[in-house]
Amino acid sequence: MYNGLSLDQAPPISVVMRFFITVPFFGILLSALLFFYPDTVLIPNHPFSLASIHLMFLGVITMAMLGALFQMQSVLGGRPIPAPAGNAFLIHLFLLLGIIALTLAFTLLYPPLFIVAAVFLGSSILYGVKLILPLLFNGTSHDTLQGMKIALFALSLTALLGIVMATEYANEAFGTMHEMLRTIHYSLGLIGWIAVLIIAVAFQVVEMFYVTPSYSPWCKRNAFNIIAGALGFKTLWLVEGLPFVWVFDAIIGALLMGFIATTLKRLLKRKRRVSDVSIWFWLLGMGLLFLSLGLYGTYVASGSELFQTMALIAYVLFALSIILGMMGKIIPFLIWFHLNSAGYMDTPIMSNIITYSRAKALFVLFTLTVFFTLFGVIYNDLLRLGAMMGIAMFGLLLYNIISALKMYRYTLHHGMRFEQM
Amino acid sequence: MIFEFMRDDHRACDHFYSEAENALSAKEIDKAKEYFEMFYQSTNHHFDMEERELFIAFERRTGMMGGPTQMMRYEHQQLRSLLESMKSALDENRHSDFFGIGESMMIMLQQHNMKEEQMLYPMIDRALENDAEEMIQKLKEMEK
Repeated sequence: MYNGLSLDQAPPISVVMRFFITVPFFGILLSALLFFYPDTVLIPNHPFSLASIHLMFLGVITMAMLGALFQMQSVLGGRPIPAPAGNAFLIHLFLLLGIIALTLAFTLLYPPLFIVAAVFLGSSILYGVKLILPLLFNGTSHDTLQGMKIALFALSLTALLGIVMATEYANEAFGTMHEMLRTIHYSLGLIGWIAVLIIAVAFQVVEMFYVTPSYSPWCKRNAFNIIAGALGFKTLWLVEGLPFVWVFDAIIGALLMGFIATTLKRLLKRKRRVSDVSIWFWLLGMGLLFLSLGLYGTYVASGSELFQTMALIAYVLFALSIILGMMGKIIPFLIWFHLNSAGYMDTPIMSNIITYSRAKALFVLFTLTVFFTLFGVIYNDLLRLGAMMGIAMFGLLLYNIISALKMYRYTLHHGMRFEQM
Repeated sequence: MIFEFMRDDHRACDHFYSEAENALSAKEIDKAKEYFEMFYQSTNHHFDMEERELFIAFERRTGMMGGPTQMMRYEHQQLRSLLESMKSALDENRHSDFFGIGESMMIMLQQHNMKEEQMLYPMIDRALENDAEEMIQKLKEMEK
C-alpha cells in the first residue's frame, strides 16, 4: 500500500541531500575567508572578493537550488529526471571540484586552476541544464515552468560566459570586452538565474503552502517575459555599447519591487496563522531584497562603491534567506516522506526532525549574520563578528542536516515496517 | 472548466484546514474540531469526485489507465492515511502530534494539488472537451 508510484517518481533521498549537505561546508569556508581577510574581501574585483562571491553564488546558492530542482522537477515539471542518482552524483561531484578549483585559483592566483575550474563547472552546469531543460518542454505549460526554463537558460549562459572569463584569467590576458562580459555574466547569474527561480518558486509555494490570496494572473503571466526581455535587451545594449543601459536595470528593479510588494501583501494576508519559521525567512528575504534595490539605486545615483558592495551583500542574503527557509521545510519533509512511503510505522514527524527551537535558533543566527555583515561594510570591525555568526549559522545548518540524516538511517535500520507485522 | 472547478475546491479545503489549525493554536478546541471535520469531509469528498467520476471519464476517453490518474490514486491513499492519523491525534488531544503530522500532510497535499493543477486537470479539460460542463454538473450533484 505504501510503495506507490508517488515514491517511485520521487528521486532517492541521497539525490537532494548530497547537494544540501555541501551547502554549509562552503558557507563555513566563505565565512572563514570573511573572518581572516575582512578588509580584502570588500575590495571590488580583488581575487579574494571574487572567491567569496563565487563561494556564495556557486557553493551555497546554486548548490542548494540545483538540489531543490532535482526534487521540484518531478512535482512541477511533470517528468522525473532520468537516472537521478547517477546524474546527481556526477553533477554534484563536478560542481564541488569546480568550486574548490575556482576558490583556489582566486586565492592562490594559480592560472592553470582557472582552466580546471572552467572544465568542471562548465560540464556540471551545462550537463545539468541539458538534462533538466528538455523535460520542461512536455506539452503542458504554466507560469512556474516558464520561470524554470528561463532560469536554467540564464544559468547556462552565465556558465558559458564564466568559461570565457576563466580562460582570460588562465592566460592572464584580459580582452577589451572583459568588463562587458563581466556585467552580462553577473546580470544573468544574479537576476536571470537566482531571482527568476525564486520568483517562480514563490508563485507556487507562497499561495499554496501558506494559504494566501493568489498572485494576480497578469503578474504570473508577464513577470518572466519582462525580466527575460529586459535582460536580453541589456545584453544587446552592452554588446553594442549603446547608452542608457541603466533603463533595463530600472525595469528589473521596478519588477522586483512589485514582486516584494505583492509577496508581502500575500504573506501578511495568509490564512495559516500558525507560527512558522519559514515565514520569517520569507519576510526577512523580502526586506533584504528591498534593501538591496535601494542600495543599488543609491550606488547608481552616487557612484559610491560602498553602496554597490552593500547592495550585492543584501541581495545574496535575500537569496540565502529564502533558501534557508525552504531547506527548513524540504529536509524534514523528505526524511518523513521517504520513511513513511517505505511503510515505517515509527517515522518521526517533521517537527521532531528539525525541532522548532533549532529552526528558530537558525533564524536568529542568520539575522545576526545579516546585521553584522551589512554594517561590517561600513564599520569594518563588525565584519569579523558577521563572519563568526555566519560560521555558527552554517554550523547549525550542518548539524540540522546531519541529525536529520542520522534519524533517517536509524529508522531505516531499526524501525518496523507495516509489512513486517 | 474542470481546472477552475477543481482548483477552487482545493482552495476551499485549504481554507478549512487553516481555520482548524488557527483555532487549535488559539486553544479553541471545539472550533478546531469542527473545522477539521469540515476539512476531513471536503477533502475526502474531493478525492471521491476524482476517483469515482473524473479519473474514470478521463481514462475511458484517453485509454491512459496506468498513468497520472493511477499515481494520484496512490497519493490519495497516503493522504487519507494521514487524515486518519490527524483525526486520531485531535480526538485524543495530542495537539503537537496534530501539528506535526499536519505539516507533512500539508506539504504532501500541496505537492499533490500542484501536480493536478499543473498537469492533470488541463489534460482532463482537453480530453473531455465539450463534455466538461456535464461532468462538472455530475460532480456538483455528488453527495458529500
